[in-house]
Amino acid sequence: MRILIVDDEGSLLLTLVANLELEGFDVVGAEDACSALTLLQQQTFDLVLTDIRMPGMSGLELFRAIRRTHPTLPVIMMTAFAAETLIEQAVQEGVFAVLPKPFDIEHVVFALSRAFSRPVVLLVEDSVEAKPLAEALQAVGLTASISADHQASVVAAQQAPADVVFVNVELVDDGPALVESLLRLDASIAVIATASRAAPELFRKVAELGAFACLLKPLEPERLVHLVARARARPQTQMRGGFRHAIGGQHGTVSD
Amino acid sequence: MTAQHGVDATALRADQLFQEHRRSVMERTDRMMATLMIVQWLFAIALALVLSPYTWEGRIRSPHVHVYAAVLLGGAISSLPIFLCIKRPGWLSTRLIVASAQMLWSALLIHLSGGRIETHFHVFGSLAFLAFYRDIRVLALASLVVAADHFVRGLVWPDSVYGIANPEWWRFLEHAFWVVFEDIVLVFGCIESTKEMRLVALRRAEAELSSQREMAKSLELDRAMQELQTSQQALVRAEKLAAVGQLAASVGHELRNPLATIRNASKYLGKRITGPNAAANLNDPKVPQFIALLDREVSACTKIISDLLDFARERAPVPEPCPLRPLVEDAISILPESSVRIINDVPADLPVPSLDRDLFRQILTNLIQNGVEAIPSDRQGQVTISAEGGRSSPWRITVADNGSGIPEDAVVKIFEPLFTTKTKGTGLGLAIVAGMVKAHHGTIAVESSTGLGTRFVIELPNRASLRAA
Repeated sequence: MRILIVDDEGSLLLTLVANLELEGFDVVGAEDACSALTLLQQQTFDLVLTDIRMPGMSGLELFRAIRRTHPTLPVIMMTAFAAETLIEQAVQEGVFAVLPKPFDIEHVVFALSRAFSRPVVLLVEDSVEAKPLAEALQAVGLTASISADHQASVVAAQQAPADVVFVNVELVDDGPALVESLLRLDASIAVIATASRAAPELFRKVAELGAFACLLKPLEPERLVHLVARARARPQTQMRGGFRHAIGGQHGTVSD
Repeated sequence: MTAQHGVDATALRADQLFQEHRRSVMERTDRMMATLMIVQWLFAIALALVLSPYTWEGRIRSPHVHVYAAVLLGGAISSLPIFLCIKRPGWLSTRLIVASAQMLWSALLIHLSGGRIETHFHVFGSLAFLAFYRDIRVLALASLVVAADHFVRGLVWPDSVYGIANPEWWRFLEHAFWVVFEDIVLVFGCIESTKEMRLVALRRAEAELSSQREMAKSLELDRAMQELQTSQQALVRAEKLAAVGQLAASVGHELRNPLATIRNASKYLGKRITGPNAAANLNDPKVPQFIALLDREVSACTKIISDLLDFARERAPVPEPCPLRPLVEDAISILPESSVRIINDVPADLPVPSLDRDLFRQILTNLIQNGVEAIPSDRQGQVTISAEGGRSSPWRITVADNGSGIPEDAVVKIFEPLFTTKTKGTGLGLAIVAGMVKAHHGTIAVESSTGLGTRFVIELPNRASLRAA
């Protein structure tokens, strides 16, 4: 697996490259976005790992350029800044994940291997809004599929490996049971429960089972994209911790 | 609602003031009447002694029965009203008794003067005095008393009233007419003066109330001012907190990059030197390289922290004679190596200024480092440090680079804390420099032209020349 790492911070680039080489990856480093683009023209890569704030061309601009030339190439971003419009912008445009610095090598490796598997976002939903939502996710470069019942969902998650599943816990005959079977299938799946009204009982149940987040309808594509990127950026250590996000109120925001 | 309330309050207060004023008028008149009673008594005795005997007997001058009448009757008439005026001033009963007594005095004096027509003027005088009470009831009673006296005595003892034994039948009416005439004038006066008192009271009440309102208004204003002050202080505190938060965020972010490197390097080293074939891995050239890198990144963290501390706790400079050229040399020596040429252009024979060595070295290091960083890597750059002054002029120390310059909109903000044009940096460096220059009582200025370079000029007052002057 060939990875291109872009960071203006020379020593960080050096140590990250060395560590990932040690993990068995084929790694090439670039100190700025321009040389990264040149390298992308000359060689083939399976993934790009780039800093978001760099002098000259920013990581976001680099990502946009990559989208034009290599539309399917996954891009993961790194940032030293906690909250920034650049980050949210990158997430909304379909960056695979954003990793906060300083990160563990295991964390990076986990995110990389996730990205390599080209995972799918699964929507368990039978309402009319399912299709436009899936299309909205696809529009930003995510792969999304829809299934309407319990059995089909588990099969779908198995066949095209899904790493983020939105489950409408009200539609499916037994929402919590589906959440349970999905997590039994793969504990690293981020299951996000959705419901059209506040369903504290259902939400509490799925949270106890280890759902990643609960989401109140209406489902907006931006929130879905945001949650997908967050789910994909979480380290392995948070997998079994289960419930990480709670959505409060009709227009509540995601919070840790 | 409030207006109505205001009117009621004014009327109430006006009435109170009017009553007070009236009472004080009554009491004052009571005192005056008491004095008058005493004077009349003494006058009556004197009159009885001097006039009565002649009037009544003609030739024999001996103490007459009238003298006793004057002493005893006068005393009887006067003592009760005098007593009441002292004990119960202002009472209605007091002034009614005073009025009756005063009219009895007229009767007595008329009697003592043998019914002289001139003595009847005493009645008019008395009524005028009683009018001082400004009370119609007093005048009415007095008039009644005098009428009753004239009528009864006119019937039983006309000599005592009119001085003749057979007065005309209309004599009483004539006297009564003049009394009524005066009464009309006096009543009119009473009514008018009472009206005036009411008006004065109303004006006073209004003035009082409006001054109270003014007072309330000014109190309100005071309170508003105080509230404003409090909220302003809160605002300043909030701004300070926000600045602290911004500073913390900036420093926190800045620490993340070196920390990420340290984490990566230590991870790599850990895997290399603790694995099963650790001995062989020691030949990896990255091991010593990463150890050096760890050291450098820790220094970077330390620098960020000490910048923060420098900014947070500015210390007062301790000036000492400090030759400039060696100090610049010193500052250059602690800078990290770079391809940029740094030229120490300070004359060796420059007079020696008085400076805080450590602080000033930091000023120079920060400015030179800034200059170095302003030069694009693809250009042959240089930073020049020069100095002049010291003999009779202020010191001028200049740090100039031929780097990319500062955009015009950034120049004005360059000394503000947290402002930075670099992708990394806390934005504290030049803020610290500005603070330190100010602590040396100096000024710092910047000139920059995009693409040509930047020049920082520090001016320090010349203490030596100040002392010489």
